Amino acid sequence: MGRWIPGDDEEESALLAELGLSSADELFQDIPPRARIPRLGLGRPRTESEIVFHVESRLRKNRTDRDLLCFLGGPLRDRYVPALVDGILQRSEFYTSYTPYQAEASQGLLQALFEFQSLWVELTNMEVANSSLYDGGTAVGEAALMARRLRGGKRFLVPENLWWETRSILENYLRGHPVSVESIPVDPNSGEMDLDTAVRRSRDDCFGLLIEYPDSWGLLQRGLDGLKSRLGDVPLVVSTDPLALTLLEPPGSWGADIVVGEGQGLGMPVSYGGPLLGLIAGRRRDLRALPGRLVGASVDAEGRRAFTLTLQTREQHIRRSRATSNICTNQALMALAFTVYCTLLGPRELADLARQEVREAHRLAERLSSFPQLRAPRFALPYFNRFVLGLEGLTPPDFLGAMARHRILAGSRLEDPRRGDPSSAFPGILVAPPTTGATRAIERYVQATREVLSSGGKSP
Amino acid sequence: MTFRQARWDEPLVWEIRPSPPASPGDGALSELLGGYARRTPWRWPELSELEVARHFTRLSQMNFGIETSFYPLGSCTMKYNPRVGEILARNPKIAHVHPDQPTETVQGILSILYDMERMLARISGLPHVSLQVAAGAHGEFVALLMIRALFQDRGETQRTEVLLPDTAHGTNPASAAMAGFQSREVPSDNGCVSLSALTRMLSDRTAAFMLTNPNTAGLFEERVLEIADRVHEAGGILYYDGANLNAILGRTSPGAMGFDVAHLNLHKTFATPHGGGGPGDGALCVGDLLEPYLPVPRLRRVGRRYTWSYEEPRSIGKVKLAYGNVGLILRAYAYILSHGESGLKRVSRRAVLNSNYLAQRLGRHLPRPFKTLVKHEFVLSGAPLRARGVRTLDLAKRLLDEGVHAPTVYFPQLVEESLMVEPPETESKRDLDLFYEAFVRALNESPEVLRRAPQNLSVRRVDEVQAAREPRLSWRDLEKEKANPVASTPPEG
Repeated sequence: MGRWIPGDDEEESALLAELGLSSADELFQDIPPRARIPRLGLGRPRTESEIVFHVESRLRKNRTDRDLLCFLGGPLRDRYVPALVDGILQRSEFYTSYTPYQAEASQGLLQALFEFQSLWVELTNMEVANSSLYDGGTAVGEAALMARRLRGGKRFLVPENLWWETRSILENYLRGHPVSVESIPVDPNSGEMDLDTAVRRSRDDCFGLLIEYPDSWGLLQRGLDGLKSRLGDVPLVVSTDPLALTLLEPPGSWGADIVVGEGQGLGMPVSYGGPLLGLIAGRRRDLRALPGRLVGASVDAEGRRAFTLTLQTREQHIRRSRATSNICTNQALMALAFTVYCTLLGPRELADLARQEVREAHRLAERLSSFPQLRAPRFALPYFNRFVLGLEGLTPPDFLGAMARHRILAGSRLEDPRRGDPSSAFPGILVAPPTTGATRAIERYVQATREVLSSGGKSP
Repeated sequence: MTFRQARWDEPLVWEIRPSPPASPGDGALSELLGGYARRTPWRWPELSELEVARHFTRLSQMNFGIETSFYPLGSCTMKYNPRVGEILARNPKIAHVHPDQPTETVQGILSILYDMERMLARISGLPHVSLQVAAGAHGEFVALLMIRALFQDRGETQRTEVLLPDTAHGTNPASAAMAGFQSREVPSDNGCVSLSALTRMLSDRTAAFMLTNPNTAGLFEERVLEIADRVHEAGGILYYDGANLNAILGRTSPGAMGFDVAHLNLHKTFATPHGGGGPGDGALCVGDLLEPYLPVPRLRRVGRRYTWSYEEPRSIGKVKLAYGNVGLILRAYAYILSHGESGLKRVSRRAVLNSNYLAQRLGRHLPRPFKTLVKHEFVLSGAPLRARGVRTLDLAKRLLDEGVHAPTVYFPQLVEESLMVEPPETESKRDLDLFYEAFVRALNESPEVLRRAPQNLSVRRVDEVQAAREPRLSWRDLEKEKANPVASTPPEG
């Protein structure tokens, strides 16, 4: 154990003496004997070097997306993070600080979070953003609850191809309310969502429609720019990718009422799935329905600019059961990482990065389209920086397993793993080329695919 | 003590060097973008690496952290965050592991997560653990969804009420509402749950009773075993809010006290950094009754292999992307292993000792409601300050001037002008004494000085009323205000 508890027995004795006690056990006499426990069953204390050796030796058994070529196309993404980003995060004034309830002691973090909110407003072209939620999945759940506060109703519409985790999270966020989540069909060939049906079903007691942009299959759905006028006052909730918004017309420009996203890919390593960064933005008229913490600009007693948490009457510590959300701890440090990353790259480099990913995804699809057993891409709609690779005559587990033997993580599985025999499920995988070293990685992917397919998907 | 915080007139990031709006047009790609090529400009500056580094470093210098200041924040357990955790979580062998990787490639981290679940099961006295939840409040919400599913399975859908003490954290009633329950407050009696009131309120409509023990007044609920019996006799579930677990580590456990389910805050008890508000991390620990409802996937060991299991027919499903805040779990894992059995017992001993020591000394200056033996935190009432025309808030702001963070103020709401003080085990006697002296100095300051505090920080007292009256929440709002000084906001409600 490190020297994390100060002083020695003498120091404890001095504290006890002030209390007139002879043993610290007397401080625990209010615990009923029947509730006391003899021991925890944990081991002896370890030194820092023992701990480091132990954890390192365990972690050595992991293969990383740097040991293997990573084409995993799920909602998270492991892009390179410049050294400065982590340098700022390691400023202990930031990472060891508490929620900035005492504004005067926390101007640095408050200003950084104000900049974060501003950045998300710029990217989305929305009017107000909060200072973070847990992740992009729970942000969809929070957005649905917010939509229901705005309109009331019983049904929330989502695309049929919504990523299964997000769908499950959303259903859980709505489970406490007498509402249902309804799927809007997606054409199995084109991948196109049936917006006519969505608009028709949005009548009456529907409290919102979720659109993904790009969607869970990487696709850019048609007809989104005219959608809001067809929905009328039914809230339009858009789940998007912050990097994509450097190239795509932002949802705030085509009528979105709430915009959410996952920010992990910009400034945070993937870290086996956490910590992540949930993003949310809305319309100013709906400000009081927004969940989570907000940082506002104000002035201090001398009239100088200063920042503070604001509109806290929406939050659990003030409003309790009538709060807009139960969220307390959020992802402030990840919001800082996102802000430092985006500021360090700047708009031009961010857009270049996005363009590069779009081009590489299309290049890989084009290369793979020459294999008759593959449909690359599986769907006809335009796609952004990842696509569904259709497999014919072999299952995703077989293909992924065979590619893994070439040290390639060839794609993410699409199907909900909770449902039955996964090998018979969805005949495709979600593929995204790595951002760094894409050219060589794509060559190796194509080469490995050739070998895998020529041996019928069996091991080389 | 003399303290002066850095006072940079640091511009907002876009004021460092104004940049023209980014022009996103890229003809070559627009065809691939399905007609959605960005036309709406967005603005963000183009800065050099040094400009970015200096900006954020200066901001950091206008922020308290544990390594600069003592944080006696009640209910927050602001203990030292061991640096070794920062090193471990940045190991490339975890930082660059993708959650969609096949389990054969992630056996190292899975073995750690598995052992972490086992250790938390021992600490909580509840045998089944999920690490998927993101934070304490998230754990409450998830547990309530599981409780909901349990009663649905049993056909007891009339159980629509969640009871909680009037001293409960705000997240408790908020989580109950989100999970579709009505919450009802059980009155306190001398700072602890009134057993007779609880007994009266329990019924066949009760789904759960949520309790923090020690509670938010820092008092151990001595009748917890009777509380558990009453709740269980009424057919309800007893929920443990783990915010205050630090006080009882290794002495008792939620399981030993009769709780059915507990969330633990890894960022409080197990020293992962608070990150300026997050990320934290939660763990949900449950007994056999609720085990089938835990989120998927569950981590299983088959022989020497670890796998994620999705075949859990009664599971409520997913509550968060991937598997939890793994970077934080790793820090907490190292913390628990480092302390071991004896170390964790020392943690609770010293935390409670620190708290009683400071309570005894400060109790000579401000009234302490309730009994005198406290656990890891204690409550004072700043009500006597009113006679001098000052409030608890003024005292809190003056403490900032002394270079220490203020205690939690105005909570619990049960106590007038309350201050809740938690001095974790990582604070030395010397630091406690310095805090005591600063506190007494602040108490003896003139009302003028107190009302004008703080003066030694990067800004003076911030006008929170104006911030709420005319919310300016972004660059755009600031610009709009410049163009048109009267901002409009929809009325409250």
